[in-house]
This record gives sequence, C-alpha cells and structure tokens, in this order.
Amino acid sequence: MRMVVSTAVEGRTAYPDYLDPVEGLSRDDLNRLQEAGVMAMCHRAYRRAPLIRQVWQDAGLVPSDVRSMADFVAKAPFITKDSMREFRDRHNDPAGGMGHFGPGEILSIGTTSGTTGDPTPIPSGSRASTEDTFTRDLWHHGLRPGDYHTALAFTFRGGFRRRMVQELNIAEIIVSMAPGEIPFLCEASKRFRPTTMASVSNPLLLALEQYFERTGEDPVEVFKSYKAAIFGGEPLSVRLGALAKSWGLDLYENTGVGDVSSAAECKARAGMHAYEDVTYLECIDPDGADPVPDGGLGELVVTSLSENYLPIVRYRTGDLVSMDRSQCACGRNHVRFKVLGRTSDQIIVEGRTILPRELMMLIEQHSETRAGLFQIIRTAREMDALKLRVGYDAGRLSDGQDRLGQRLRDDLTAAIGVRVEIELVLDQELLKLGPPHKIPRVTKA
Amino acid sequence: MTMVANHPDIVGRYDIEGRTDFYLVKRTELDRSAFALARIIERFGIAAGRYILTVALSQEIVQFAPFEEACTMLGFIGTNADASPMDAGRVESICRQFDAAAVCGVDAAVLQGLDEAGHALGPIFAGRIIWARPDAYHRLAALEGATVLRCAKIGPALALECLEKGGLHLDGREWALSAPERTIRMTSRMARIHPLDDVDTGVAGTVDHSACACGSRDPRVILRD
Repeated sequence: MRMVVSTAVEGRTAYPDYLDPVEGLSRDDLNRLQEAGVMAMCHRAYRRAPLIRQVWQDAGLVPSDVRSMADFVAKAPFITKDSMREFRDRHNDPAGGMGHFGPGEILSIGTTSGTTGDPTPIPSGSRASTEDTFTRDLWHHGLRPGDYHTALAFTFRGGFRRRMVQELNIAEIIVSMAPGEIPFLCEASKRFRPTTMASVSNPLLLALEQYFERTGEDPVEVFKSYKAAIFGGEPLSVRLGALAKSWGLDLYENTGVGDVSSAAECKARAGMHAYEDVTYLECIDPDGADPVPDGGLGELVVTSLSENYLPIVRYRTGDLVSMDRSQCACGRNHVRFKVLGRTSDQIIVEGRTILPRELMMLIEQHSETRAGLFQIIRTAREMDALKLRVGYDAGRLSDGQDRLGQRLRDDLTAAIGVRVEIELVLDQELLKLGPPHKIPRVTKA
Repeated sequence: MTMVANHPDIVGRYDIEGRTDFYLVKRTELDRSAFALARIIERFGIAAGRYILTVALSQEIVQFAPFEEACTMLGFIGTNADASPMDAGRVESICRQFDAAAVCGVDAAVLQGLDEAGHALGPIFAGRIIWARPDAYHRLAALEGATVLRCAKIGPALALECLEKGGLHLDGREWALSAPERTIRMTSRMARIHPLDDVDTGVAGTVDHSACACGSRDPRVILRD
C-alpha cells in the first residue's frame, strides 16, 4: 500500500490520494478483513433482523455454525427484495424484517425509488455506508476541501441528513433533477465553478441537450471546471455519453450495491469499484446458487459488513453482473463489476437472450428516437417476438410515424435477428413513468 | 487549495427581491434554526419514535433541513418525499406504511399527484398533523380528522404555525422581520456566511410581535391569502 499523508507544500496542503486508507489494502488484507466482517455480521444480523433469523432458522442454522468463508458460502441462505416485502406484509413491519429499533437508534427511513412496487424502506443512522463510499468516489475524482460539489438529487426521498461531504469543508450545491432546474445548474456551475457533479442521468442529459439547443449557451463554458461527473440510475446511453464528452464532461458510471453501498467507476473506467470493507460481494448463477467465476455473467449477491441498520446477509439483488477481482490500473484491489441488466428484465425471444441495454444504442441512433426512451413489453420470459414501446419526438419526424416504425423494425431485426413489434408513443408519455432519473425499461403491458 | 475558513457548507435557494437566487449557509446556521423549530414542534406532544414525513424539493434544503434536524433532536424518525406530482405516491405509501404522526410541506403539486393517482385525501391525512404550504392549505383544512396548520418559506427560513393558529412562528433571535408595505422584509441578526439586510421576501403578510398563547415570543407572520 502506498503511504499517502497530508503534507504542506509551499503553503498548500497536499491531501492523501485515498480518503480512507482502507482503499489501498492488498487482496490478502481485504480477504482477511472480509472474513472477519462476514462472521461478525452473521451474528449481528441474526440478533437484530427478524427476517435473517427466520430464514436461518428455516435452514436449521445458527451463526456459530458459520466458522469460515467456506462455511458461509456453503450454508448461509439467501434473501431477496420479495422476501423483505413478504415479511413486511405478513408482520406489518415497515422495516421488512431488517430490524426493530428504539428511539435514537435510527434517525431516518429512506425509501427506494419504487420503480417495481411500494418503495422499500432503508433505515439509517447518523451515517450511512453509502454516504461513506460515495464520498470516497468523489475524493478519487479530485474533490477536495474548499471545493464545490454539485449534488443532483433524483428526488427528495433521501432527505437532507447526509453531511459527510460538508464535514470535509466541501460545499454542496443542491439541485433537483428536473428540466426546470437546468438554468440553475448552469448558473451554479458558472458562478461557483464546482469540481464534481453527481448524479447525472440520461433524462438529465436529454434536458441539457434541449436547453443548450434552445438557448445557444456554450456547454463547454458551463462545465469547464468539472473534473468528473458521476452518472447513475440506468446504463449510460452511448450517444449521450459522447455528447457529454463533447461538452467537456467526463462521466463515470455509478450504481447502488444492495441499497447498503455504492460503486463507481474510477479513472481507469474498468468496471465499478465496490468497497470490500463495506460489503462482501458474490456472483452466482441466477437460476441456482453456484458461484460464477470472475468474468462470467451472474447475479450480484450482497452481504453488508458495516451497515448496522440494514444488516443484509446474502441479498440477491437481481442485478446481472460480471466481476473482476484483479488489481485495477488505479492501484486499488477492491472488486470491480459491470452491470449488464436485471434478472427480471431478461427475456428470451426465439431462443435469444435480450437485455434492454443492447437495444438502447440501436434506438437512439434515429433522430426521432434519439432520447433512447423505450420499454420492453414482457408478457412472458420466453416470447416469439420482441415487443417494444418506443418514445419519439414528433418535432423531429422526417418521413412520418409509419416510416419511422418501419426503419426501427428493420434496424432492430437486422441487429438482433428476431421478429420485432413496435408501438410508438410520444417521449413525454414515457418520461411521465419516472422517477425522473430513469423509466421502467420492462413492463408487463 | 482554497482557504476554507469562510467556505459555505451548502448552496440552496431562496426567493428574494422578486427572484429566486442561491443562498449559502453553514451547517451550524441550520442547526440554530433547528433548535428554534424544535421549540415549536415539541409543544405538539408527539411521542419519540414516531415517524415524521417531510415533503420538499431538494433545492429547498436551507428551509427544510432544519425541520428534519429538529425532528431528530426530538427523537422522531424522519422520512421524506418529493414535493411533486410524480412522487405523490410516496406520500401515500409512507403515511400508510409508517403511520406518520405529522407531515410537513404538503403543497398543491402533491395534491395534484394524489388526485391523478385516484387517492382520496381523507384516508391519507386523517389523524395526522399536517403543515400545509399556502397553495394547499385551504383544501387540506377542509378535511375532517386532520390537524391542518400552515407552513411557509420566508426567504431562507421555514415558518411554522403552532396549535394556536395565530400566525407562523419564525426564530426572532435569528431574524428581524418587518412589513412596512404589503410584503415581509427580513434582516439577519446573527453572524451568517450570507447575511441579509432588510430584503424583500415577496411573501404577502404582516408581522405580529406580541407573545403567542403557546408561550413563544418569536415574531409571527400572518399570511395574506
């Protein structure tokens, strides 16, 4: 591990490269830390979380049966979002079986986006693990004391309780992710010259594109101070990523890790780093429990190591990922992964597996559908045609709606090799399905 | 590296002199406001451990973060939803799931979203304390079974009505208020990173400096409907 300390050089402070020295641990040190963390979390979760206790008892297990990582992988049962929701509904427990807390133990309950149902509660104390990992990522991308950071909030559902960035003497400029906020985002960027921005989304980039086209304002001048912008919510559109690059905005992808941590691309852009002192990650066969080796496609399974208020153990996230535990070019050994889709989004058409991610690039290359807004209509896991609802901008129609549909069908069929059925709707109709940073990419009707 | 001594912690927004502009604060300034709000909220007798829902927009951090902090000081569990039609379903879901004791910041956009989703307001808000913004107050006040009070942003501050309904309290140690004409003007009294000097908040109303029946000596804003 590199020794990095704060030193005074010609009156300026050189801050450490890593916000937390744990970021520089070797693979061996990380493995030891994780084993200790997993053992401790098994005891803590069993004691505090009724759902964990129930599934372990159903499996005939107690925490003392797990004495090694091998024991854990072989014996510990899985939980899912559905099992948390079932527990919540059966026991009238808004915490979904993740813990009963007295006054003063938790400060707040955040809630997930609710894209796939009633929002899931996320209990939180004075500092959430996600806050810690997110701040490490911003620090990695160059945010330092005395700087400004543009905090783009998807919605207000997390509240204003997070103050870790502010405690580092960094000012947070708070902006909502809404089209009406674009002038404030641009004005704040010019007035305060922030270093970083998070989180950017596809709908926000679309709104920025329209704003710059409408006003003639120079995006390069607006964004010239930013060293990095963190992108999240759903996969980054290829077209919008290139557009942001032309504005001088370097985007780095970010995702949640089982609602207890976050992961983001580093400057090497070789997958998103998850911090292994905060979570233990596994990649398993989506249809079973066998481990998938690094580089293979599997489901992300998360065990929290540091989040007392959401003590998840072997939580199947439904995210399809490929993982890489080799050392990154950035020098860190913490695992990296790429998200390729959701298990629930996967459909099979004429024997071919299709994920939303691969369709976006094909759809956004047409002027009328450059927003890349679409939904897969999934009436069954296996279908005989790919049914899509695609958003279009009526103002950009060049040869009529029927011709646009035909062009899309031809391109998609040629690229994917299956029969395609397309229903065209206006962009606004799909954007209304929010939350604002993403739309449901798969729907039943 | 920039000197950080006078660096703000947060850049939020406020309405001032007929426009919306950025407002810079230190967390310690928000903490002072939180103490003032806690003095009002504690008189409602809400039991520690109950859930309080704050409905706001992210850029309203300067006004609503102190409310959240006040709830934390009093031992409540905070939860949040966006003050927008799109997120109105979260208001319904949280009230139902967590039996929120109080909801602060409900506005007309949330009511519109609830209407569009087909939710009747009564089952959502009955039995709770509701601090409604001016554009939602009259509709909510007509509901049976809910304790509906007013809240409003006054420049960079949040004013709350107490159970006496004699105007909206604002921290008198922090702010000097006047209303020489139709709208409220405010001046900061304490050290702030972004001081205000007799600025027009654009909020139509008058100021009552007399003691409130609730026991507070803070000035109260009487909104002009």
